[in-house]
Amino acid sequence: MIRTQEYNLNFGPQHPSTHGVFRIVLTLDGERVVKAEPICGYLHRGVEKLAEARTYTQVIPYTDRLDYLAAMLQNWGYVMAVEKLMQVEVPERAEYMRVICGELSRLASHLIAIGTYSLDIGAFTGFLLAFRERETTMDLLEELTGSRMTLSYARIGGVADDAPEGWLDKVDKFMDQMPACIDEYDGLITGNEIFQARTMQIGVLKPETAINYSISGPSLRGSGVDYDLRKAKPYSVYDRFDFEVPLGTNGDCFDRFDCRMKEMRQIVRIVKQAIEQIREIDGPVRGKVPKVIKPPAGDAYAEIETSKGIIGYYVVSDGSPKPYRVHVRRPSFINLGYLDEMLRGYLVADVVAILGSLDIMLGEVDC
Amino acid sequence: MFGKGLVKGMQITFKEFWSPKATIQYPEHQNPIPDRYHGRFTLDVDKCIACGMCANACPNKVISLQKQKVGTKQYLTNYVMKIYYCLFCGLCVESCPKDALHFSKVINMNQYHFSDIPLVLVQREAPAVTAESEVAASKTSDKEGE
Amino acid sequence: MENLFVGIADGLRSSLGGLPPELGEAIVMLVKLVAILVFILVNALWLVYMERKVAGYMQARIGPNRVGPKGLLQTTCDIGKLICKEIIIHKDTDKVVFMLAPVLVFVPTLMVFAVIPFGKNMAAIDMNIGLLYLLAIASTSTIIFWMAGWASNNKYSLIGSMRSVAQMVSYELPMVLAILGVIMITGSLNMSDIIAAQEHTWFIFTQPIAFLIFFIASVSECNRAPFDLIEGESELVNGFNTEYGGMAFAMFYLAEYANMLVCCAMVTILFLGGWHAPFGLDFIPSWLWFFIKMYIVMFVIMQLRWTYPRIRVDQLMGFGWKVLVPLSLANIFVTGIGMYIYRAIGW
Repeated sequence: MIRTQEYNLNFGPQHPSTHGVFRIVLTLDGERVVKAEPICGYLHRGVEKLAEARTYTQVIPYTDRLDYLAAMLQNWGYVMAVEKLMQVEVPERAEYMRVICGELSRLASHLIAIGTYSLDIGAFTGFLLAFRERETTMDLLEELTGSRMTLSYARIGGVADDAPEGWLDKVDKFMDQMPACIDEYDGLITGNEIFQARTMQIGVLKPETAINYSISGPSLRGSGVDYDLRKAKPYSVYDRFDFEVPLGTNGDCFDRFDCRMKEMRQIVRIVKQAIEQIREIDGPVRGKVPKVIKPPAGDAYAEIETSKGIIGYYVVSDGSPKPYRVHVRRPSFINLGYLDEMLRGYLVADVVAILGSLDIMLGEVDC
Repeated sequence: MFGKGLVKGMQITFKEFWSPKATIQYPEHQNPIPDRYHGRFTLDVDKCIACGMCANACPNKVISLQKQKVGTKQYLTNYVMKIYYCLFCGLCVESCPKDALHFSKVINMNQYHFSDIPLVLVQREAPAVTAESEVAASKTSDKEGE
Repeated sequence: MENLFVGIADGLRSSLGGLPPELGEAIVMLVKLVAILVFILVNALWLVYMERKVAGYMQARIGPNRVGPKGLLQTTCDIGKLICKEIIIHKDTDKVVFMLAPVLVFVPTLMVFAVIPFGKNMAAIDMNIGLLYLLAIASTSTIIFWMAGWASNNKYSLIGSMRSVAQMVSYELPMVLAILGVIMITGSLNMSDIIAAQEHTWFIFTQPIAFLIFFIASVSECNRAPFDLIEGESELVNGFNTEYGGMAFAMFYLAEYANMLVCCAMVTILFLGGWHAPFGLDFIPSWLWFFIKMYIVMFVIMQLRWTYPRIRVDQLMGFGWKVLVPLSLANIFVTGIGMYIYRAIGW
C-alpha cells in the first residue's frame, strides 16, 4: 500500500484563468480536488460605501465598474431602483434605447464569456474570433455613448442621449451578420468533440441545488430552471418582444455554455424587434426629473437580469441628495456560493472548466 | 459525432486563414473616432461663466477652479482637472449650463512626468480693473438692481 | 540542384585530399554535423515565426509584421531580448538540476537529426538501426522535462512534469507499434531503405491506420495541442517551465519546435515517401521535396493547435491505452495477414 498525501495548491490570485484576481485554495489528492476554498476580495473597491458619499447621479459611473463587460445593465439596475424610489416615469423611447444598449452590452458580455471559456478549455482561436465581433459591438456602443466599456449611459429618468443619426441602421446591419458568426463559434467550439468531452457531465448543478443556492442567470438556466426575469417579471418593455429562454437539461458545464450561446441568438431577435419598434416612437429620452435629485425618505429594491444573473440594487434614501445606503446583490458573487461542492472530486483541469462555466466577473464578485 | 466536429473545426480555421483580417495597423491607420467620444476635455473660456456646476457634478472631485470677481462678472482664472482621477463619465459635460465644456477626440494623454498629467485648461491673470470701469460697472449694476 | 549538398561534401573531401583519409573523413563529418546544427537552430527560429503567423492568420489578425521585412526578424529579436534577461533562480530550487535541464533539452533533438536523410544520400550518418536509435534517443527528452519540473520546486511544474512522464509512457507504445507495421513491410530499420521502399506507393496509402496513430502519437510526443497537457497554460500556468525565465525559458521554447521538426521529418520519412517526388515531378530536387512535405505536416500540426481545445489528463491516458494501443496491435495483425496473403499469391 502506497502512502499518499494530500497537498494544497494555491490557485490564483495570479493565475491566467481565474478571470481576474480570484483565489481558490485547492486541497488535492494527486490531481483530484478534495476540497476547494474560494477566497475573494482582491478587487474590492468598496463601491457600496463610495456610493454613500456621492449624489444619486454620481453613483452611476461607479456601477459601471461592477461588471465592466456589461456596464449598461449595471447602470440600468441602479437607475431603476432610484426611479422606483422617486416614482419617475421613463419615456418610452428611453426604455427602448435602454433595451437596445443593454442587449448589446449583454451580447458583448456573452461573447467574452464564450471566448474566455474556449480559452479555458484550451482553444485559442475561439477566443479571438469572439473578440472580433465584440469589437464591432464595442464600436457601436462607443458611437452611442462615447465610451467603449464603462458606458455610464443610463440616467435617472431616461438615458444620456438619443441614438446618433444612422446608428440604428448600423445595429440592424450588425444583427443581420451576427447569426452567421454564432454559427462559426458553434462549429469551432460547441461542436468540437474534445470540447464536449471536456465539459459534458462536469460540474453538474442540480436544479434543486441551484435554486437553494440562489444561483441565477445562464448558470441557473443551464440546469433547466426556467427563470429569466425578462420573461418571469417583465420589466421595462420586455413584455413587447417575442423571444425564448434557452434552457439546458443536465446542468453541466456544457449546458451552461450552450445556454449563453443560444441566448446570443435571442439577443439578436430582441434587438431586431426593438429597432423595428423604436422607429415608430418619437419623443424625449429623458423624463421629467428635478435638477437636484432628492428622493423622499424610504427604500426601494429593483432587480434586472444581467448577463451573469439577477442583479439587485437596494437603495435607501433619507431625503438628502446622497443615498443613505446602496446595496448590490451581485450575481457573480452569489453564483460562486456552491463552488466548493461543485469542484470536489474533479481534476485540476476541470476546476478551470467549472469556474469558467459560471462566468464570474471579479469586479462584481468583490464589488 | 466521431470526428465530424473535429473536421468542421479544421475547416473553419482553414477558412479563417484565407479570409480578410479584422485588425488594423494602429499608428498608421486609426479607427475613426465617433463624435461623442470621451476624449480630452476642452473648455470654451468665453462661454464659461465659472459657475462651478461641473465641479459639483463630478463624482471624483476632479475639477478645481478658481475665479475672481471682475466687475459684476465672475472671471475664471484657473481651471485644472486632475485627470488621473477622471472616470470619463461625462457628467461634467452634461451639467454645463452654457455648453462650454466639451469632449474632444484627443485620446493621447500620456505624459512623461506625473506633474504634467493634470489638465490645465485655463490659467490666466484676471484683468486689472480700472477705477472707471469699476464705477461704471457698479452703476450699471445699481441700475439693474433698481 | 539535385546533388547540391552531396556535391559540396564531395568537393570538400577532395580538397582535403592531402590529409590522411581518416582525418579528412572526420572533418567532413564535423562540417556535416555543424551544418545540421545550424539548420535546426535557424529552423526553430523560423518555426516560431511561422507558428505566430499561422496563429494570427487563423485568428483574424496578421501576426508579427514590424521587425524586419514582414516581421521575419521578430523571433531573432525576441531571442536577443531573452538572452539579455536575467535568469531568476529562486531559493528553493535544486540549482544544478534546474540549470542543467535547459542546457540538455536540445541534446536528444540534435542527436536524432544525425540519422535523418534529408534527401538522396543526404543522411549525415546512414545507420543500420536508424529508426531504433531515433526512438531510443527521442524518448529521453522526457527525463529533461521531469528534471525541469522537479527541480523547480513548484507544484504547477511538478504536476506538469508528472503528466509529461505519464504521457510519454502511454504514447511511446502506440508510436512504436505503429512503426512496426512499416518495418514489417520494409524489413529494415535503416531510414534510407524505408524511403527507398516507398518509391511507388507511399506508406500512408498502405498503412493509413498506422499513419494516423503515428501522427497522433507524435503530436503528443512533442507536447503540442490538443495534447499540450504538460504546459496546459489555462490550468498549470505554464507547466514544467513555469519557473524559468530568460534564455532558459527560450531553450525550452525552441526545443519544442526542434522536436516538432523531428516529428514532421519522421512522418515524412515513414509515411509520406521521404524525398520521393510525387506525380513524377522530378525536376524539383529531392531535398526540396523533403522540406515541402515536412512543412505541410508542420502546418497541419500548427492548425491542430489553433483549432482544438486541450484534452484532459484522464482522457489522454484513456485514449492512449484504450484506443491507440489496441488499434496499433490490430494494425500489426492485419499487416501480417496481408503480407502472408501477398506472399502466398506470389506477387
